[in-house]
Amino acid sequence: MAERSSTMKTPLNKALAQRRSKRRYSRRSCGEGTYLGYTSGRQTVLKIPTSRKKPKSRDITNQVDPDQVALLVKKEWHLSYVTPLYQFRYTMLKTYSKELSAFLVSEKQQGQTIETGQELCFKVNISVVLGLAETNQDAETIYIQILSKQVFAAKDEAQKVVWSGLLTCINGDVDYLRSLPPEFVSLPLLCTSGPESLSALVKSWLKKTFDCCFGPICITSTNLQWLAALWTGCHPTKNIQYLKLAWTIPTQPPMDVTYKVNPQDVWKLWDSARLDDGAEDSINIEEVNSFIRGLQTHFFRHFRLDLSAGSLMRVSTALGSAHHSGKIKITSPDYMTTVLQLLTECALLKMPI
Amino acid sequence: MAKAFNLLTSDLDVSSESDLSVSSRASNRSLRVAEKERRKSEAEDPFLLALKYFSEVKAGTPWMGNDVLERNLVLVERMGLTRGLPPEVISTMLDYAMSLRMGAPCVRVLKFLIPATVVPQEAIVRAVAWLCVGKIAISTQVLFLKWVLTFFDMIDSKDHLRSIYGFIFNFVTEEHLCPYICHLLYLLTRKDMLHQRSFIFSLSPQGRQPFLLHLLSLYKVFCPELVTTALPSKLRGGFKNHVTPWKGVLNAIQKRNTGQVTSDIRLTIGVKDGSNSRKRKCNHLQLPSLNSAVQRNLSSTNSRKVFPLEQLHSFPELLDNLHRIELPSQMGSLLGSSLALCYLDYVQDDSAFLRLNFWLGHALHEGKKASPYAQNCVLPVSTCQNCSPLCLFYAYVLSRAPQEGFFSTESFLYKFLNVWDGSLLRPQILGLLSHIPVVPSSCIHQLLFEPLMQLFFSSTLFFKCSVIECLNDMLLKWLTWHSVYSVEDGLDISLNSHTPMNMTLSGFMDSVMELVLFVGRLATVGLQLEGCSSLLLSFVLDFYETVCDMFLKFELPLVVMPPVGVFYPALFATDPVSVDRLCFIMCRYKQNLTAAKFQQQEHVFHISSQTYREFNRYQLLMVSTLWNSRLFQPGMAVEVDHNLLALSKVPEPSASFTLIRHPAFVGYALDFHLKCWPERKDMDLKSVKAGKHWEWYLEFLFSHGYLGLQQFVQSNINWHPGSGTKSQGQGDGQPTNG
Repeated sequence: MAERSSTMKTPLNKALAQRRSKRRYSRRSCGEGTYLGYTSGRQTVLKIPTSRKKPKSRDITNQVDPDQVALLVKKEWHLSYVTPLYQFRYTMLKTYSKELSAFLVSEKQQGQTIETGQELCFKVNISVVLGLAETNQDAETIYIQILSKQVFAAKDEAQKVVWSGLLTCINGDVDYLRSLPPEFVSLPLLCTSGPESLSALVKSWLKKTFDCCFGPICITSTNLQWLAALWTGCHPTKNIQYLKLAWTIPTQPPMDVTYKVNPQDVWKLWDSARLDDGAEDSINIEEVNSFIRGLQTHFFRHFRLDLSAGSLMRVSTALGSAHHSGKIKITSPDYMTTVLQLLTECALLKMPI
Repeated sequence: MAKAFNLLTSDLDVSSESDLSVSSRASNRSLRVAEKERRKSEAEDPFLLALKYFSEVKAGTPWMGNDVLERNLVLVERMGLTRGLPPEVISTMLDYAMSLRMGAPCVRVLKFLIPATVVPQEAIVRAVAWLCVGKIAISTQVLFLKWVLTFFDMIDSKDHLRSIYGFIFNFVTEEHLCPYICHLLYLLTRKDMLHQRSFIFSLSPQGRQPFLLHLLSLYKVFCPELVTTALPSKLRGGFKNHVTPWKGVLNAIQKRNTGQVTSDIRLTIGVKDGSNSRKRKCNHLQLPSLNSAVQRNLSSTNSRKVFPLEQLHSFPELLDNLHRIELPSQMGSLLGSSLALCYLDYVQDDSAFLRLNFWLGHALHEGKKASPYAQNCVLPVSTCQNCSPLCLFYAYVLSRAPQEGFFSTESFLYKFLNVWDGSLLRPQILGLLSHIPVVPSSCIHQLLFEPLMQLFFSSTLFFKCSVIECLNDMLLKWLTWHSVYSVEDGLDISLNSHTPMNMTLSGFMDSVMELVLFVGRLATVGLQLEGCSSLLLSFVLDFYETVCDMFLKFELPLVVMPPVGVFYPALFATDPVSVDRLCFIMCRYKQNLTAAKFQQQEHVFHISSQTYREFNRYQLLMVSTLWNSRLFQPGMAVEVDHNLLALSKVPEPSASFTLIRHPAFVGYALDFHLKCWPERKDMDLKSVKAGKHWEWYLEFLFSHGYLGLQQFVQSNINWHPGSGTKSQGQGDGQPTNG
């Protein structure tokens, strides 16, 4: 193979030498530069993390309004990713609320030439959940609530919450967030809870207003394993009560295996899986793998069924539950940020750019 | 049209006049002259005369054999069917037709009544009035209603039509008109209109037609107390979309009218209203509609008047408003409009590109799941109107290709490669890939090679071929770019490019080297996997045809030899074309290396002696294999033990790949033998080698177009055709560079 000296030695003639030594390419290309493709978070090649911080029980009610926290927990959220919002301003939430409610009403009316009778009126609250963000780069979380009321309802009649949504970013990849121009606000994770039709409407409004795109998030097997490990690790401080894992084994017909473990036992297993040399407050992917392998070996010993052949579909503990299809439920506020951080990561990885 | 033209010429007159003399009197005079000319030409314009005829013709004028009528009618008809009619002409002609002033031509007039811009509502009100007179034949009335429904959206405003709602409603009782009238009423109905009136309307049992039910359901929505009949909750089918003769013509006219200004200025190609399709699953693949951003801070709107992109219809308009155009609220919508894309190119706004980038990335990403219809998209742009945004996007990228690739594609292309299944939009993706600019060698592996490698090894032969082809294109583009910019360095290139990325020659060479070596590895394994398929080999040789000429053609002081995994399959290929091409490539290598050696003596650069050695080895092997029957002999590159060869029971193994016995050429040898000695029963290929026959045999081969072989023989082997002696060829003296 040809080896080249990386510099030119002696010139063929003076002119050529000058020309050649000056030969530099000025053109956008990979690597550096401020042009679009390169600034936009492309070069920050997002990597799947191999180690995470050990979840710390953080009493977020100290920083976050307890009422707001109450709104976030005990709901089943559907997850989607959101590309950065263009020209989103925190100072204009009131205006956004009004616009969204007007949009919802007009959209609902459009389809109503035939179905009649239920004339709905929507009230939209868009608010900031202060204190949830972990780093300076994280944008503050946005909470959207849609209340419905009958047009001629009595004044004191309670309004019903029909839909709620959460746009959040917890511990997002710092390089990626920094690489975005200032006109963009990155809230990559959207959690929605409520009828699908309303979710679609809210999404289309967000699309129109902030020029963003949405896509579904699936929580992969690996991430579910991470969640199982993270939740188990919380056991000493917060009783997880049980660890329930659901696998689907690709047999004909497919077989679902639900695997429920006693919290004390699973904690012991997790503790033994922890490596000694590892830093005390971080968890390695190897540890997670050996933990899950331990669970699978145990199962194999009893039932002669290798769970690693299947895929993990669902993980649940008393702290929360997560499903492969991108549904999550957080029951305890204490470890909420840990879970949201993992999901933010998923969302950023899922994003097309 | 004539008017506009005259105005234009008069303008020209003014400017030229005023250039000549500063006196304002002169220009006044010229204006007057122009005005007079305009009037004169108006008076002479046959089209205007024809219109005058139709508006003034007296009722009862006979039409049979009326030449004047015929001439004028043809004139307007031609205009209508080719360019569409302006509003005032529509008005005149509709009035003429519906009034039945001359009877029969009514239907004919309706058929060519295609509006160029809008339909004045007054014309329709007047026509409805004529309808009430009741002289018109039913079929003509139906035709008229169809006409109104077809051009309903082009009616300039509908308030006067709504004020004669009651009159129109009366026609419901007319059996034949009813479907059309219902449709028209459905389109016209507003909630407030129903409160003021009450209709007595009884449904006969056979009256439960879908069109009536639809109208009634609308009434019931607006005023439930008005409609007492129970309606089915689900109505099947709506108003029929009647096939009318006008739609095709209208489309053609619109296309032509707009096409005169720019290629396509339809700002909303393929745009679907999102609200209608919100239940559809893959509506993310539809282009958003072009809407201007909502202006929230009023201060900025006061300072300058903005010009929303959706109002942009022609290129001159774009030029006039370049400074005050605002970008739409959704950048994805830009892809529907070539004008908007022109603008985007002009503004070079980072965040605008980024927004578009997000949208495109998303569309590509999600498009994987729902794009069976994206596959059959055919370029170029003009045919893209009905296909997916991906296609438009590709068209967009292609349109930018001459301007050094498209900046925002690489970014998601790299990411997309990781999730690509290798089949979605394959030609397009590979086309894009071949356009990416030089990737620094530090990240070329991660960004490009790893995902490509995975795809390459797990895909079909055809995919492998197209990957190699794509990489060849990529290399060609890089090299071309290098040869252009290294010559142009007198100019400051950084002026017109946005971010000067300084890439040194050595950096560039590293990248090229990486690419060539990568393709070498791909080809080696690929050829093994595919059993040395001739097809794949041909693509690989294409690539090496580019590689071997890097020094002479592109001034790049870099020579990389093909790996053995490519060289041997080509040399021992069963098809003569591959061997011939290998010969050609080796000749080019020789010329490049010779030239490099010559220049190297002037110490400009350095090509490793290793490369020369490698070349010499290949060269020697080729000569001794094809020519000298010295394959497998000690000292050659391929050494095999004698005993082992004896086991194979092949007679004369060392001669088994000469030009006579090589599997690629043995057919020619047989053919040649047959031609020389047609009467001989026993085949003796050795006789071809003897004397003159050998010479003839070579000529025979060359005459079949194996020019690479010819070149190889002539440049490497001391063989004199005239002498008649088959001399010893020799591995040509490329003295190894110590």
